[in-house]
Amino acid sequence: MKRGQARFSRSGRAEKGARLDFRVRKMIGENRAWPVFTKEGTARIRTLLLVAIAAVLLAVWAFPILWALLTSFKTERDVLAYPPTVIFTPTLSNYRDVIFGSASLLPNLVSSVIIAGVSTALTLLFSIPAAYALARLDLPAKRASGFYVLATQMLPPVGLIIPYYLVLQKVGGLDTYSGLILIYLTFSLPFAIWLMVSYFEDIPREMEEAALLDRAGRLRALWYVILPQVRGGIAVTTIFVFLNAWNEFLFAVVLGGNRVRPVTVAMFNFISVEQTLWAKLAAGAMLAMAPVILLGLLAQRHIVKGLTVGAVKGGGRT
Amino acid sequence: MSATRVATFARQERRFALALFLPALVVLLVTTTAPLVYLAWNSAMRIDLSMPWLSGFAGASNYVNMGGDPRFWNSLRLTLVYTVSTVVLQVTLGLALALLVLRIPHGQAALRVAAILPIVLAPVVVGLFWRTLVLSPDVGLVDVVTRALGLGSHNWLGDPQLALISVIAIHTWQWTPFAFLVMLASLSSLPPDVFEAARIDRANAWQRFIHITLPLIRPAIVIVVIMRTMIALSAFAAIFAATGGGPGTATEILNLYAYRTSFSEFNLGYGAALAMVLLAITLGVSFAMFRVRRGR
Repeated sequence: MKRGQARFSRSGRAEKGARLDFRVRKMIGENRAWPVFTKEGTARIRTLLLVAIAAVLLAVWAFPILWALLTSFKTERDVLAYPPTVIFTPTLSNYRDVIFGSASLLPNLVSSVIIAGVSTALTLLFSIPAAYALARLDLPAKRASGFYVLATQMLPPVGLIIPYYLVLQKVGGLDTYSGLILIYLTFSLPFAIWLMVSYFEDIPREMEEAALLDRAGRLRALWYVILPQVRGGIAVTTIFVFLNAWNEFLFAVVLGGNRVRPVTVAMFNFISVEQTLWAKLAAGAMLAMAPVILLGLLAQRHIVKGLTVGAVKGGGRT
Repeated sequence: MSATRVATFARQERRFALALFLPALVVLLVTTTAPLVYLAWNSAMRIDLSMPWLSGFAGASNYVNMGGDPRFWNSLRLTLVYTVSTVVLQVTLGLALALLVLRIPHGQAALRVAAILPIVLAPVVVGLFWRTLVLSPDVGLVDVVTRALGLGSHNWLGDPQLALISVIAIHTWQWTPFAFLVMLASLSSLPPDVFEAARIDRANAWQRFIHITLPLIRPAIVIVVIMRTMIALSAFAAIFAATGGGPGTATEILNLYAYRTSFSEFNLGYGAALAMVLLAITLGVSFAMFRVRRGR
């Protein structure tokens, strides 16, 4: 490639993609926002350096988690070995203990599924219509409403937990599913509304107007035209709401108890009782976090895509 | 369309909007606002579950007591340090990483996966991981590294100064990937032609960053700052699991102080007053940020 030419054309992989539509490139993962315009030689060195830095970052983020995974297969004696060992005889006894042992996590997992599942369903039910109204419709006092939702999202959990504790204590609502699910709405609903508003705002107005001109009813237009447009947004919202509910700790530790004890509380109790059983802690943590890790990885593309702007903003330019 | 038909249409529109919004509004009023009114009421009460016979109306005395409570002022200072440092670290690191990763031809996918992992973990589990496997003296990962580098072994969570740095590091480790992913997504969706034009105009990399990239991804930055500030102000589980607010009160941000007062010392009246202060701070900050988001 001639140098004069190189400055104004795309190098390497980008060249092949140059003829492709921007959206298609995005789909096949060639989503670099702008072409790399460097001279070939320095480009290679720089790339190498960048990859090295990226590898370090990868290690910083992934290593503690991989280390915990490794630890979960160790015996307690191997855990405390110095220098730390990566070569050891793996054992499944930690997992056996946290699944079938006396301190089994299974009931806690069931608790978590019930709490996170029900609160997520309720959140979606209330948040999607509200977000649409906020984003697109002629809602009276729209600014104030938007601010109110934002304000409720900002509430410090410790400020909510005190009145909930006092009231639930009076009505016998401590250690019940309904009490916890109710208070979980306080953080998931404003969050979901706020997140969905940003997705609804990305839909082109022409699409709605077209649906209305076709004399489709308001509700039908919402269901058949608008909602399919924000499917990705709904998926992302569902995942985030479920994750937040699954991972919640403060409300659960105060309002929960023996009957209702999600995994986060169980993990914390475990370390307060068994200070030194780290391998078992790691196994328990892996078990407790497996659903959210799996969900996060499965939905990874959706999370990343969902956080980018919608199809229309991307497709408008090629 | 005649004028009356337009008016009818507008009225129907508003009614439809209200019908969609009201259910959520009612839920929010019942689950968030009503409890806060009750919180405000309780902050004017003396509620001591360990000495219930002393309970009763206390007026403003809970708030007056705060003025002479060094633990309160300490927690306020820690809240400021913790919030500002974690948010600034997350935004700058996240943006820097995103700019960097954008130039990497291969391996972006692996980095995205690695970035997802800390985000999806429960803060309480992250706190437990760091307390045991990462930061514990002698066998923790960090201690192994510092010992190998000849920096010696440290009690990362037991030393008051180090403990604060440690909990800030834990929070930053867990949440920088969030900022990174949002920034990366925002950067990836920028129009390439703008950059081509700037390049033809011979704008250098720094100029392009300041005058093109930064203004274009401003919404993403604002979103990250708002969300992360809110989370940092209400951070609880990771600190609670790692240090419990200690040693002493070294990592006791206002949130933890209010919790400990209410549920360890069972002084719920004073705890409610502390929570009211935290509430005022978060609402003030959120209001300021809402204006920033609306502005421009």
